[in-house]
Amino acid sequence: MPDRPNALELIEAVTEFLSSEVLPAAADHRLKFRTLVALNALGIAYRELESSDDLVIGQEELGELARRIRAGDVDEDLHARLKEHVAAKLRISNPAYLERHD
Amino acid sequence: MVAIAPWGDELAAKLGQRVDSMQLLPGGASKEAWAVEADGERLLIRRALAGVIHEGTLSLENEFQVLEAAIEAGVKVPRPVAYLGELDGREAFAMELVEGETIGRRIVRDPPAGFEDELDSVGDPRPAIEYGLWWLREHRPEPIADVVSHGDFRIGNVVVSKRGLEYILDWEFAHLSDPREDVAWPLVRAWRFGADDRRLGGVGDVGPYLERYEELSGRAVSERDLEWWEVLGNVKWAIGCLTQCRRHLTGLDRSIEYAVLGRIAAEMEYELLDLIEHA
Repeated sequence: MPDRPNALELIEAVTEFLSSEVLPAAADHRLKFRTLVALNALGIAYRELESSDDLVIGQEELGELARRIRAGDVDEDLHARLKEHVAAKLRISNPAYLERHD
Repeated sequence: MVAIAPWGDELAAKLGQRVDSMQLLPGGASKEAWAVEADGERLLIRRALAGVIHEGTLSLENEFQVLEAAIEAGVKVPRPVAYLGELDGREAFAMELVEGETIGRRIVRDPPAGFEDELDSVGDPRPAIEYGLWWLREHRPEPIADVVSHGDFRIGNVVVSKRGLEYILDWEFAHLSDPREDVAWPLVRAWRFGADDRRLGGVGDVGPYLERYEELSGRAVSERDLEWWEVLGNVKWAIGCLTQCRRHLTGLDRSIEYAVLGRIAAEMEYELLDLIEHA
């Protein structure tokens, strides 16, 4: 176990700093926008570290699957499996997108 | 406010006008934009940056020529003023500085060519994008004659005011293509900026848009015709995100915006799978 604050708590601290101190003080539009992007990035990192869910398709299978599809080898179950896999990625990267979409 | 850029005198000489003030405008990944006052006239100087030029991106000289052709044809574009050649070693042109709002945000993307090669160059296997490419190959529509396409026609690249659409900007991806490519591009969910139920760029419905398109162009395009192109648009932008992210990961162009695009690509993967499911 690392000392506290652990990685998640550090991400939280940086998130709070950016949103309560940097964002309100950001004078120009571009800095404000980039701060929001940075906050989004921290949110993704937080959810990734916090999540214990496995992605539907493992890292080692992705390459093989990509090669097969490129060669036209596509079976009936593939679409549903890919959609589940991508949904699992979105639960980390942008859960709000997934909720809005469905 | 920057008083005068180091190349301000060069600019004044080429314009044949006195340069009174210059201001670098925010945004722009591959080009910089300066608001310039020259002898009381308000100009925008579009100047190349050192960054990567994407395959198929027009040179500024060609982009200037596209603007000239577009304004001649009655397209709403800012008036091109002068092609300037190089200013301090980088290509530039001057056009009218226009007022209005550009909703959304401007993102550079790659033109529609060599998708598989581009995906391979990204390095990481992406089966969902491969599935989109496979579906596109299997369902290719009958082609119709090419027209001049803008190449990035969407919310973010149009200037609007209370009166409606005023100008279409950013012609650097102009090329010849099937007209449906441009017609479908603003439907891609990524350009709805959160207003997902209004399929046309988050601002309107597709029906009236296609009716007006037919009135103006004489080309009848149905929503069903656009399905294939909308899947293509999502594949294109998914790969575009990964390419941009690569610029960050390889150290070519470190940027938090590019970094996050790598994780945004999954949104286009989900959308293309959903579109295919309902096609």
